[in-house]
Amino acid sequence: MNYIEVENLCKSFTVRRKREKGHLFREKTTVQALDHVSFSVRQGELVGYIGPNGAGKSTTVKILSGILTPSSGSVHVGGRVPWTDRKAHAQHIGVVFGQRSQLWWDVPILDSYLLLRDIYRLEENAWKTRLDELTEKLKLGELLRTPLRQLSLGQRMRAELCGSLLHRPELLFLDEPTIGLDAVSKLSLRDFLREENRDHRTTILLTTHDMEDVAALCSRVMVLGHGKLLFDGGLTDLLSRYDRERVIEVSYERETVLSGLPNRCTVTQTGSRYRVVYDPENVSTAWLLEYLQGAGSIRELTAQGQNIDQLIAQMYREMDL
Amino acid sequence: MNTIKLYLHSMAILIKSQMQYPVSFLLQTIAQLIMEGGEFLAVLLIVDRFDILGRWMPGDLYFFFGMMSVSFYLTECFGRGVTGNFPMLVRTGQLDTMLLRPRGVLTQVLCSAIDPRRITCIAVGVLALILGSRMSMIQWTVWKVLAFAEALLMSMLLILGLFLIEAVFCIYSVKSVELVNALTYGGRSACQYPVDIYPRPLRAMFTMLAPFAMTLHVPAAWILGKPLYGWPTWTVFVCLLSGLVVFGVVYVLFGHALRHYRSTGS
Repeated sequence: MNYIEVENLCKSFTVRRKREKGHLFREKTTVQALDHVSFSVRQGELVGYIGPNGAGKSTTVKILSGILTPSSGSVHVGGRVPWTDRKAHAQHIGVVFGQRSQLWWDVPILDSYLLLRDIYRLEENAWKTRLDELTEKLKLGELLRTPLRQLSLGQRMRAELCGSLLHRPELLFLDEPTIGLDAVSKLSLRDFLREENRDHRTTILLTTHDMEDVAALCSRVMVLGHGKLLFDGGLTDLLSRYDRERVIEVSYERETVLSGLPNRCTVTQTGSRYRVVYDPENVSTAWLLEYLQGAGSIRELTAQGQNIDQLIAQMYREMDL
Repeated sequence: MNTIKLYLHSMAILIKSQMQYPVSFLLQTIAQLIMEGGEFLAVLLIVDRFDILGRWMPGDLYFFFGMMSVSFYLTECFGRGVTGNFPMLVRTGQLDTMLLRPRGVLTQVLCSAIDPRRITCIAVGVLALILGSRMSMIQWTVWKVLAFAEALLMSMLLILGLFLIEAVFCIYSVKSVELVNALTYGGRSACQYPVDIYPRPLRAMFTMLAPFAMTLHVPAAWILGKPLYGWPTWTVFVCLLSGLVVFGVVYVLFGHALRHYRSTGS
């Protein structure tokens, strides 16, 4: 039994343009934000949901969380239809927006959590146990009496996470949770999410542009572009489709001229340093290394794959996004 | 019960957060006093000049002013979430947050703001009521007290309903619609005087569209012993319900609007 079941989900917005000169009425255009999207997610899965800006990621999250009503299609989350059973649904989900605060700005965060206790009708003991667990894991203990506005971005993100998990949601939506965080905060946030997913079998849907988040957390990715679902599967499967080229950087002791390399390799030179980009399918790595060694005395050589952002950029290009 | 507890808890937290800026709070409260005091002064001056407006004596006019003031500013104080800056809730995505929580949206909107600065405006209103009651020598009976309380309550619902119209428009268009202010603030300014001093179109507007005449003037006139249009007593308690009707209709529209909510940003 799948926890999230989405079938042929469509959402279109009517956009009114500014009235042009000589026209009596404003022109209306329909934007198809989601175009027959279907997928399903099992309980306890950790899914990355990626795509360029404006692909429809946020729209999907807003529909799944009950904020928006879709134009057509069916959605079931834990057996509920989010927008018709909004309140019952809200009791079971948590949402964190990286760019938007959901706690009260001017009061100590503990007060926010007390208010959330009343909003979600949590039992005092259950609330207290959960709060203690979260404050310990998220290292919020000393911050509980600080107003939200005085927290740093990293602290605020942790506070937001705590707020959205107090009612033990079955499903957690994360919308760019690591945006603007420093390396340490990012890493500890990822650790926390992994634990949360493992210990409570919380299903997590992560929307992000940070591919390292996806690589570190998600066993499965879905790629959305122009409102259509373009890929659904493992991250390694996705990357291997585009991950073809390798880069060798080599520098020589003395001025050396590389000539006679096949056209299929791209060579760029800066001083005595060369950068060779090639596809192992077309050019044998063994041959290339032998050639480079033969050209002169090598001082230093590094070989690497493309970084994940470049791959994703290439993927978006090839998918024409 | 739970909802009331939530409301009180929210109010406590909001007041706590406003007290983070005590000087600003004090200054704004004084500003409110000057503003509403000025309004009342204007009524005093007008009454002083004309002595009598239609069949209304000065005391009657103070009483009308007081009823409008008290109900309007009580609404603004406790219903600040609706009367304040609803368009901002939509623009900044706070409405999204409310939709993500297992509570009614209107409940949360009401829980999102309070405006204790209005306390001075309410005080001016109470002063006008006492003054009016004394000068017109109202003989208070249980029924009159009941009618008075019901009138305040229904007027508050009416005012809340009228402000909610703006919220409904705003959810559809993500913009604020200033036109609705003609009914809300316009209604307040116009209907602090009894409706029968106005020409017919205005009378129709404030009887049918924004029925302040029904929720305020009919009962107030009856309490003063000069029934409006000479209507019988039972009408007083029935006309009042128009406040509930307006609120009910707008509330249904509000729910409808939320289903067409488009949200903003990502």
